[in-house]
Amino acid sequence: MSDKGNNSPISGEEGSAKREVSAGLMQYSPENLMPFGPVHPALHEPEYFKLILEGEVIVDAIPRIGFVHRGIERAAQDRTWIKNIYLFERICGICSFAHSLSYVQAIEGILQFEVPKRARYIRVIVAELERIHSHMLWLGLVGYWTGFDTLFMWIWKDREHVLDLIEAITGNRVHKSYNTISGVRKDLPENISEPIKREMAYIQDRIRYYRDLVSREETLVVRTRGIGKIDAETARKLCPVGPLLRSTGIARDVRTEDPYAAYDEIVPEVKTSSQGDVASLLTLRADEVLESCRLILLALEKMPSGPTKLTAPRSVPKGENAFHVEAPRGELFYYIRSPGGITPERVKIRTPTMANVLTATSMLKGYTLADVPVVLTGMDPCFGCMDRISVFEVDKEKQWSVRGEDLRQYGISHYKTKKL
Amino acid sequence: MEEGNLDDVAARVGGQISQNRNSRVLTIEPGKLRDACKFLIDEMPDFYHLSTVTGFDEGKTIGVIYHFWKGKEFLSIKTSVPKENAILNSVSDILPASILYEAEVKDLLGVEFKGNRMTLQRLILPDAYPPEAPPPLRKEADPEKIRKMMELE
Repeated sequence: MSDKGNNSPISGEEGSAKREVSAGLMQYSPENLMPFGPVHPALHEPEYFKLILEGEVIVDAIPRIGFVHRGIERAAQDRTWIKNIYLFERICGICSFAHSLSYVQAIEGILQFEVPKRARYIRVIVAELERIHSHMLWLGLVGYWTGFDTLFMWIWKDREHVLDLIEAITGNRVHKSYNTISGVRKDLPENISEPIKREMAYIQDRIRYYRDLVSREETLVVRTRGIGKIDAETARKLCPVGPLLRSTGIARDVRTEDPYAAYDEIVPEVKTSSQGDVASLLTLRADEVLESCRLILLALEKMPSGPTKLTAPRSVPKGENAFHVEAPRGELFYYIRSPGGITPERVKIRTPTMANVLTATSMLKGYTLADVPVVLTGMDPCFGCMDRISVFEVDKEKQWSVRGEDLRQYGISHYKTKKL
Repeated sequence: MEEGNLDDVAARVGGQISQNRNSRVLTIEPGKLRDACKFLIDEMPDFYHLSTVTGFDEGKTIGVIYHFWKGKEFLSIKTSVPKENAILNSVSDILPASILYEAEVKDLLGVEFKGNRMTLQRLILPDAYPPEAPPPLRKEADPEKIRKMMELE
């Protein structure tokens, strides 16, 4: 986007200040349409947004999803209950444990199983480790999108410590294959408490440093403070979930409201923020990582002994059940129907990003093209799906396309000239 | 939350309440869906977190469930529409959060939601999905046949 000076007018002196926009959903003329996306197949849930622009200001954004729709819900109907655990883990490469956790607990509800206490504690430990690595991944990505590559590399280096712990406990770094119906597949390895305590101390130390850094480092402050603002009233209407919702001041968290696993005994403190912008998401997620570290140490301390699983039957009796867990990105919802047998009749999955897409589009309105990467990353959709963007300006009979990398550079240079 | 409120809603729209583990299910006629959602929001604003909208094939009908969540409980509004004439009135103007969920049900199960602007285009299915093929989550949809249909195009 080297000739941006000629082709995309940068309007206004304030650069990032939110502008008043008038048009509602899907009222636009094609002249101002900018397709945004769609996919990078390496990342889960790529999205495509039609951005409606007025000059450089976004008036509206219309999502189109499903570019990596793999028909998993349909595929699940042909597989057994047990096989599906491993299928659903593959929906997401980051919160794979949350998927299997929600699914097996929905089945345990139909079977009316009392999961062994030790297994419930182990589930909390792995789920919180997953939340830490997911939030750290996101914090690093924000560094990357804002041009603060050093932060990206530092955080991702520290994240390796968490992944090593997950590997030591479950045997795998990404797709943990650890949950099973009625518990977890194996006990914690011997002598694991010492490494966990050591690594948690290290992570806490690093995250405190990053939390301080993101709230005062100018590179990040200029790009995130006051950007992508959303108020509690809009959030209540659009029903987002997870940190995006809590950043508006609404303290809704499945772990405390509808406790599962051992969260009734290891009670998390729900962190909120009242700003509702991307900057508050940064500090909020850092706070949640610190809280997760506390929960892991607490679970380790209170861990009872005993078995980690029962013997589960192959078939599930007729019935239906809805279950949700707090994945790193928010409420992850599973609804299963069993016809009575070894395969499910229907499994409905609603991932947190699906709930947040609508809110993200409303967050974009009134901000500039340069803010798009940061705002969309703000909802943590595993977003990286901007490999090719075509920019159309019908008036000028010009058309060019830019890669995601170019847009990142454009965002960085835009703010360099405007603010720094 | 008091039990009475949901009974009020059920009485006004002529539905039946049943209990299923952590969910209370309000089963209603398809024509009463908008009323039920409206009354629910008026009577119980706290229940106003729409988790999702689920659709599933029941054989001759398509079941549609609106899942609301509060505290330790789900509240589900369930309705069924016949397969040949699967049309519902959208609630996306009352519940803005439902706009994408309804579009998803439309794509995967072919339920028409009147008044939902997102259903005018495909949301999840590829644009190349043959229009004459049954929606993929209906029981009559045969993945092999659909694959062949798509290869012929």
